[in-house]
Amino acid sequence: MLRNKTVGAGLAVLASTVLIAGCDGWMGETSGEVDITAMSADELADHLVLETDSYRFEQEAQEGGSARDRMVQDGIQAACSIEGDPDSGTAGEVIAMARESYEEPPGGPRLGNWRRGAELARSGYGYRIGHRNDDHGTREAGGNCYACHQMDPAEELYGTLGPSLAGYGATRGNDSSVVNYVHQVVSNPHQYFPCTKMPRFGRNNFLSEEQIAHVMAYLLDPDSPVNQ
Amino acid sequence: MFKKALLALPVAMAVGAAAQAGEWQDPNDVLQNLLQNNPDSKYLHQSEMNIMMMPDNPALWLVEEGEDLFYAQRGPNNVSLEGCDFGKGPGELDGAYVELPRYFEDTDKVMDFEQRLVHCMKELQGFTSDDAAVGQRHGNGSDIMKLTTYIAHQSSGMAWNPPLDHPQEQAMRDAGEKLFFRRGGAMDFNCASCHGDSGKQIRASVLPQMRDGQEWTKAVSWPAHRAGHDNVRSQNHRIRGCVWQMRHAGIKHDTPVNTALISFWNDAARGEPAILPDLKR
Ligand code: HEC
Ligand code: HEC
Repeated sequence: MLRNKTVGAGLAVLASTVLIAGCDGWMGETSGEVDITAMSADELADHLVLETDSYRFEQEAQEGGSARDRMVQDGIQAACSIEGDPDSGTAGEVIAMARESYEEPPGGPRLGNWRRGAELARSGYGYRIGHRNDDHGTREAGGNCYACHQMDPAEELYGTLGPSLAGYGATRGNDSSVVNYVHQVVSNPHQYFPCTKMPRFGRNNFLSEEQIAHVMAYLLDPDSPVNQ
Repeated sequence: MFKKALLALPVAMAVGAAAQAGEWQDPNDVLQNLLQNNPDSKYLHQSEMNIMMMPDNPALWLVEEGEDLFYAQRGPNNVSLEGCDFGKGPGELDGAYVELPRYFEDTDKVMDFEQRLVHCMKELQGFTSDDAAVGQRHGNGSDIMKLTTYIAHQSSGMAWNPPLDHPQEQAMRDAGEKLFFRRGGAMDFNCASCHGDSGKQIRASVLPQMRDGQEWTKAVSWPAHRAGHDNVRSQNHRIRGCVWQMRHAGIKHDTPVNTALISFWNDAARGEPAILPDLKR
């Protein structure tokens, strides 16, 4: 395919010393003058996100804190802001960060109620903010698993960003090593799949430990439709 | 300039025999070509019904309404938008939409299409942000969407070709690429989480892959009648929707992050003909 994108930021830096005065506050009111061509692309991206009033940062996030906190990257998000798979060095660092921040629930991982897990796996509600805000007071947030995974083989609508999990418990059983592994994956999958697309449901407090227990039951309980 | 001539060459080659880069084509013809050239793209072929509806795309109504608005004398200053320069000279609309975002000397910044339109409505016509004419950004009833659809239509079939000659244009495009891959939010997503592979689905939607120019030109071809919303939607509306689903912070229009993302995503469709207006799910 034909592209001409190899001209990097280096050229831009050499070619110009254009200054943007902070007129109408476009490039950040506080900074006065910002030369966007003097920054690396990474620096400029961070600058645009955090300093140019491009987002509704003042909104509250459902998990606590402000919308701004969501756009400040933690170590794993920063390391995984790449195209394609991580190189082995990055992968190792990401796995280490993920292991370090992993927390077992008090008393160890357990299976909850698969019926509740089924609801959570289907629901794509929760944590959206901006022009409309999800209200967790009126409706529980879900795990959105079906957006990416097949689970119950009878369910027709499912995403394919992740592998099929149909029959997951039927093929693996549910002894403690399996239960521990699934908890680690749902809580922070980067321990096994560095820079995966799957969210860190536990680490990000997206699902509570109780909710994770229900979702795990949906995957692993022999009575769950996932395993029929 | 020298560099411009170099850029023009690959563009013309990419479009190939189908049409010259600068030639207007009916949006349905552009789509049909794309479908024929990409028989295996699940994304492009996902909706039989939309493909059938394309000749009667409801967005074409907005083209007519937008034309009236463009030439009408409006606003406190009672002038038309013919004095608005979208980059190719005042009132010059042919090919303007596919060559945005670009750097504008009068504002000393890179502006995307909607930002530029609003700029003109304020500076020339005298509207303020409180006026519905510029305040209301979404929906078939909004002036902005009517004008957007009319102006974009003047570039249908032409190849995406946002200029990168000015250092600020290059900087915004490069930052936009970084933003595309920047992870964040409650689900750790970047844009590539959902637009990095071909033929993948999120629930029922087949997702376009950003590095596939032929899928991506359809992806970024907004304004489009969005069947599920029964309204014509803009590039800005699409960005806002994806960012919302990503559980990032809510993004605002007319902002640098928005412009940088569009700078990059139009560049990612460079050389491919635009479908204006398109029809989507
Ligand atoms: C954005 C997409 C996405 C969502 C949402 C998602 N996953 Fe995943 N999941 C993946 C991907 C991708 C993998 C494969 C790991 C990899 O290679 O990156 C995966 C892997 C897994 C695995 C490990 C499979 C194995 O090989 O053992 C389990 C278990 C799992 N997901 C459960 C869940 C559950 C439960 C939910 C909902 C709470 C969920 N996932 C939501 C994308 C997703
Ligand atoms: C969680 C998954 C997800 C993420 C992350 C995501 N998108 Fe999307 N995007 C979608 C879905 C779903 C559609 C609608 C596709 C369809 O209906 O076929 C879409 C549509 C689009 C389209 C138009 C294609 C169409 O046919 O509607 C563009 C362009 C786009 N996204 C760009 C982006 C950008 C830029 C980002 C990052 C800011 C992003 N997306 C992040 C899921 C996502």
